[in-house]
Amino acid sequence: MRFSAASRPNGPAGPLGKVIHWLGHSLSGRIVALFLGLLLVVQAITFTAIRATIDRNARASIAKELEIGEKVLRRVLDQDTARREQGTRVVTLDYGFLDAVKSGDAITVRDALDNHRQRIGADFAALVDTRLQLIATLGGPPREALETVMNRMSVRAGINKPVNEFIVLGDRPLQLVMVPTRRTSAPGWVLMGFALDLEEIHQLLAIHVSLQVRGSPRSPWKTAASTLPPIDTWAQQMSDELMLYANPAGQLLALSQDDREYTARPVLLGDTEASGMSALLIRSVNDAVAPYRELQFGLGMATLLGVLVFGIGSVLTARHVTTPLRKLALAVERFGNGDYSTPLRGHDRNDEIGELAQSFESMRFSVARQQDQIRKLAYWDSLTGLPNRVQFRDALQAAIVAADRSGHSVSVIMLDLDRFKHVNDVLGYRFGDLMLKGVAERLANQAVRGRDLVARLAGDEFAVLLSDVNPSGDMAFTQSLAQRIDNALGGALVLEDQSVDMSASFGMAVWPHQAADADTLLNHAEVAMYAAKRGGHGPTLYDPELDATSARSLSMLSELRHAVDHGELRLYLQPKFALDGARIVGAEALMRWQHPQRGLVPPVEFIPFAEQTGFVRTLTLWIFEEALRQWPRLKDCGLEITLSVNLSTRDLLDVDLPQKFEALLVKYVVSADSFCLEITESAIMDDPERALSTLDRLSSLGFHLSIDDFGTGYSSLAYLKRLPVDELKIDKSFVLGMENDIDDARIVRSTIDLAHGLGLTVVAEGVENAQVWDLLRELSCDEAQGYHMARPMPATEFERWSSGWVLKQPSLGASGGPDAGLLLH
Amino acid sequence: MRPAPVPVLACLSRAALAGLAVACPAAVSAMALKVSVTDARGKPLPDAVVILEPAAGRLPVKPLAQVDIAQNKRQFDPQLTVITVGTPVNFPNFDTVRHQVYSFSPIKSFELKLYTGVPTAPVVFDKPGVAVLGCNIHDGMTAWVVVVDTPHYGRTTASGEVRIDGVAAGSYRLRAWHANVPDGSESAAQPLTVHHGDVSVRLQLPTAAP
Repeated sequence: MRFSAASRPNGPAGPLGKVIHWLGHSLSGRIVALFLGLLLVVQAITFTAIRATIDRNARASIAKELEIGEKVLRRVLDQDTARREQGTRVVTLDYGFLDAVKSGDAITVRDALDNHRQRIGADFAALVDTRLQLIATLGGPPREALETVMNRMSVRAGINKPVNEFIVLGDRPLQLVMVPTRRTSAPGWVLMGFALDLEEIHQLLAIHVSLQVRGSPRSPWKTAASTLPPIDTWAQQMSDELMLYANPAGQLLALSQDDREYTARPVLLGDTEASGMSALLIRSVNDAVAPYRELQFGLGMATLLGVLVFGIGSVLTARHVTTPLRKLALAVERFGNGDYSTPLRGHDRNDEIGELAQSFESMRFSVARQQDQIRKLAYWDSLTGLPNRVQFRDALQAAIVAADRSGHSVSVIMLDLDRFKHVNDVLGYRFGDLMLKGVAERLANQAVRGRDLVARLAGDEFAVLLSDVNPSGDMAFTQSLAQRIDNALGGALVLEDQSVDMSASFGMAVWPHQAADADTLLNHAEVAMYAAKRGGHGPTLYDPELDATSARSLSMLSELRHAVDHGELRLYLQPKFALDGARIVGAEALMRWQHPQRGLVPPVEFIPFAEQTGFVRTLTLWIFEEALRQWPRLKDCGLEITLSVNLSTRDLLDVDLPQKFEALLVKYVVSADSFCLEITESAIMDDPERALSTLDRLSSLGFHLSIDDFGTGYSSLAYLKRLPVDELKIDKSFVLGMENDIDDARIVRSTIDLAHGLGLTVVAEGVENAQVWDLLRELSCDEAQGYHMARPMPATEFERWSSGWVLKQPSLGASGGPDAGLLLH
Repeated sequence: MRPAPVPVLACLSRAALAGLAVACPAAVSAMALKVSVTDARGKPLPDAVVILEPAAGRLPVKPLAQVDIAQNKRQFDPQLTVITVGTPVNFPNFDTVRHQVYSFSPIKSFELKLYTGVPTAPVVFDKPGVAVLGCNIHDGMTAWVVVVDTPHYGRTTASGEVRIDGVAAGSYRLRAWHANVPDGSESAAQPLTVHHGDVSVRLQLPTAAP
């Protein structure tokens, strides 16, 4: 299963969705998103702060400007006023003017006045008497318009001092200056009128000026003139806001018009609070803020650019970080899939990622090495250094595939060392290992061609793979090679001054004749090998016939169990006779199997199997129990004989055996000394100590003990001496041959003497004719058993037979021939 | 004396009384007129000229001997001169700089062109009234000449008071003048009757700030 780091996006699809998903989920995306987000936040805060500051600064600066504007305006107006007043005053002292007035000539007076008007730069001039009647006038509004203001001004005026007032006449804002003339022949006033140039002020101050007038101190202000375009709503706003104010504190007014904001500072003109004119100094907030706005815009652009650059930079950086991580992740995934051979890239970097890559690389290296080792373990036998079963099988498969293409044959020779376990037990495991190594070496040397594979399949089992065998004569070739190997192994192996005879059983199978695939080929070779081992033959080629037995053996165990449970086993008895008098003295209990399909199965077909599998113990117990059942019946027939039961190696090694036997004895209420337990030499010698202990216990229970097949196994007389046996049974091979083979006869005699010497009884097995009977009698053998007297028979028939024997009791000697009628099967 | 309802009659009666006073001067005693002049704010007004004129007719008055209005340190000295009709006034210039004295006042228009020292001829003021003098060169030089046509006149002291002696009983017109009273806003003369005994009058003038 592949664990994917990025899950499927659930948001909007399309490229935008992909971007959003990448930003939210991948490491690089999150890094970028985090930093970009921080940058944006910082920039936004900065921007907002700057904007607020700009606004505040702009307004403060406007307020300041307006304050200064007021000061400047006042100063300018004051200066202008002073200049005008002074100028007008000069007129009243001017000799020429006074002279002109004295002359009384209206034109002269007018001209003189005009002259001075021009000098001063007034827009109109007038000379009035003390009753404010016009003496002369130039330009300007009519007297009626001026009357009110002149009245006002004359009241305010001093003796000599000029007085001024701002008025709006028509739509024109004016400043009037009135100076008393005391020195003229006709006292009165000189009046000069000056138009106020708002535009000039506006240019000077860079501030808009709006002149406000009110009729009286209580009435609202009205806009008289303005450098801003006049708009009704503006005027309305202004008059509403500026309803009444004295404004000594210089408060500012906020006005707006068409989305444009203005700040205005009202300035009272004139000398008193009752003045009828004031000026609004107006500054456009938008204009004041405009340059800063440009700055802000520039800042915004820079920010955007910065964000863009930063975004790209961080994306690249993030990728720079995450790409190697991703590559590493992919590499690790390769590891997960078992690929440890591809080297990792990126471990030449000097940073943390390089370290990570290096760690992974060294891990990969060691894992690859471990994998090699494991593979080695998996495919090679550690002891001998030969390929193991797995490798052999793989090689076999490959060879078959190749041979299929090339049209050759493939052969497998399988061999198993004989009695290897025995060597292990006798000489120790270390020697056993050395032996295996020696075999491996000899085999390797014997591989006739370089590409023939020699392998150790298991324990003491080896195999040779012959690939690319010439199809003509392939079986003969295989056979001869196997024979050669057999010969090579046949010699003694000398290891550490110990000489061991080596022999092995060989089985062969050839593809395509004897199998279609590798497993079957191996199986058949094995079957052939086991057949060779069992039969004691030389290298055996596979035969389908052999398979029957092996196939049979697969189900043997369960069939045996079935047999035990369902009474398919039969107790057979073969009687033993005392040579002296031909009395029936005992019977050997033998097992027969009545198989439902196969009929009567001879012991040789299942006993060895049972021994191998350990099932023999169950069989032994069964036969013992059967014998226990039989014994009272026999006794009732007058046959109080000793029944002999065979024990296998397994039985001897079973520590619970004496207990089990004892329990059965108690159950059937039979005493142990009615039984004789037969054990083979080799069975004892497999584990002498334990065998001894079991035998001791059995003996102490009261059982008789007998050594079966004496003379055929490895035995130690020392042990023999210690064993609590009661009798020896001479192996039938000697008995059968004693008639013709002098050595066999001698062995028989020696055995009998030996037995007697040790105080044991001796039984001869395999008596098949009267001559042998007689010979044994001469040799003072105690008992005999064989086909000549009786074959094994069902226990149920034993009684009938025995009564017949007792009745007839024919002569068994050479003088009398064997009575064939007694030969019951 | 009750004012006569008819001004003509009053004038006649006044004239009669005046004639009586003239006819027998030794028989009639002279009273003093004490005038106290204050300014528009009620403060004592110095240098106010108080003029007492008979309600009808005219008292004989003689011109004063030579009166000097000097120019000293670029100022007229004195700045206020009260003279009777016909008095010749000299204008000696004690400054090193020249002055050009002039007046455009209707009672006397004259001009003394730039000079130093003493002009050759004095200027005779032969009309009653007030003349304002100036210097063409120096705007700050101003002098007032009050020409009266009555023997009864006076100038208030620093305390704003003036005493006019030798006033016979009778009806008079009392008026006062001060430089700080704006042109055209002089108050009308106030009638005054002098009986036996001194008379104290308070006058307030509508002075304006200088």
